[in-house]
Amino acid sequence: MANSYSVSGFGQDMAADLDDLVDEKTILVQRTLRSGQSIYYDGNVVILGDVNPGAEVTAKGNVIVMGSLRGVVHAGAGGDENAVVMAFHLQPTQLRIANHITRPPDNETVEADYPEMARIKGGVVTIEFFQTAGERQGKNI
Amino acid sequence: MGEVIVVTSGKGGVGKTTSTANMGTGLAAMGYKVALIDTDIGLRNLDVVLGLENRIVFDIVDVVNGNCRLRQALIKDKRFDGLHLLPAAQTKDKTAVTPDQMRDLCAELKNEFDYVIIDCPAGIEQGFRNAIAGAEKAVVVTTPEVSAVRDADRIIGLLEAAELREPKLIINRLRPKMVKQGDMMGIDDIIDILAVDLLGIIPEDEMIVITTNRGEAVVLDQHSRSGQAYRNIVRRILGEEVPIINLDESTGFFKKIKKIIGLG
Repeated sequence: MANSYSVSGFGQDMAADLDDLVDEKTILVQRTLRSGQSIYYDGNVVILGDVNPGAEVTAKGNVIVMGSLRGVVHAGAGGDENAVVMAFHLQPTQLRIANHITRPPDNETVEADYPEMARIKGGVVTIEFFQTAGERQGKNI
Repeated sequence: MGEVIVVTSGKGGVGKTTSTANMGTGLAAMGYKVALIDTDIGLRNLDVVLGLENRIVFDIVDVVNGNCRLRQALIKDKRFDGLHLLPAAQTKDKTAVTPDQMRDLCAELKNEFDYVIIDCPAGIEQGFRNAIAGAEKAVVVTTPEVSAVRDADRIIGLLEAAELREPKLIINRLRPKMVKQGDMMGIDDIIDILAVDLLGIIPEDEMIVITTNRGEAVVLDQHSRSGQAYRNIVRRILGEEVPIINLDESTGFFKKIKKIIGLG
């Protein structure tokens, strides 16, 4: 499939090998996933809503939830260790990336009131504050 | 060789899952090896009540479809090494498992565990037929309400038709005060209709709500009456003769004094 996007204003020739621009299969889910509902996709998944406990999102690529993620999420389901999970409120029942499975600690309830991102760093799943564009200028996410 | 017990009721919300969790935890606390099976596919709850929801990777549907081994799907309890849960699937429906598969599964678990307790879904359709398929004994849970007792009666009939004879009865959420005032069915009224042996009476108790929401089991609570009631049930399952606790017993200060001086 021919690339159908165009970028400009990045400086000379950047558009040609722009690492930040990923042209992959992505679906947009414009609803909240409730208990018992599940999504599987062979690419990235963006959810415009919440993922409630008992719901499951599985993607071969990244998962982005524009709301609260409280269910089970699996990014990089095909084994991609670079896949990330991002949510405005990241409180999953269980979080899986590639072959890593994690769950929140038993007696701890930390409720972060900011967007967070989970990814594999040095072989372990880490969750960190998602820095917005201005703050991560020049850094690779 | 273990024993396979199904916990059922017909009506929803009468305490099947709570009873399953507490009987299982109680038996495990006494050192027995227990497997709990949640057969409520699509509306699973037992994992939540036990506080094990976040440990689920494989479920009963994965096991019967051969996606994983039974051992991989069994989740070990937080507190007791002897207690294991086989969770239901949440994103499938009841037809994902057949009664024959359940029979095989129960036979396999029976070899390894002292007690296999099956949490049955509400209703009398396939979920119910799956749940009772591999069972050898049945526990029927009801509340002192006409509708719940009616459904329990229907269930006892269906259990007998399936050769599960002499089910035992748990009466849940009893309020002795209301029974005294004649506003609630009493134990005798219910036994009169159902004509089955009583396994235990659980009084209405807010500790049940508190422990359930925390993913704990009230059977481990030494102070609550419902915990005591479940401990008694566990002992009766083990074959002990335990008298039914007298729920009329008043705990009021003046009543106690009256009792002491012989007026009560």
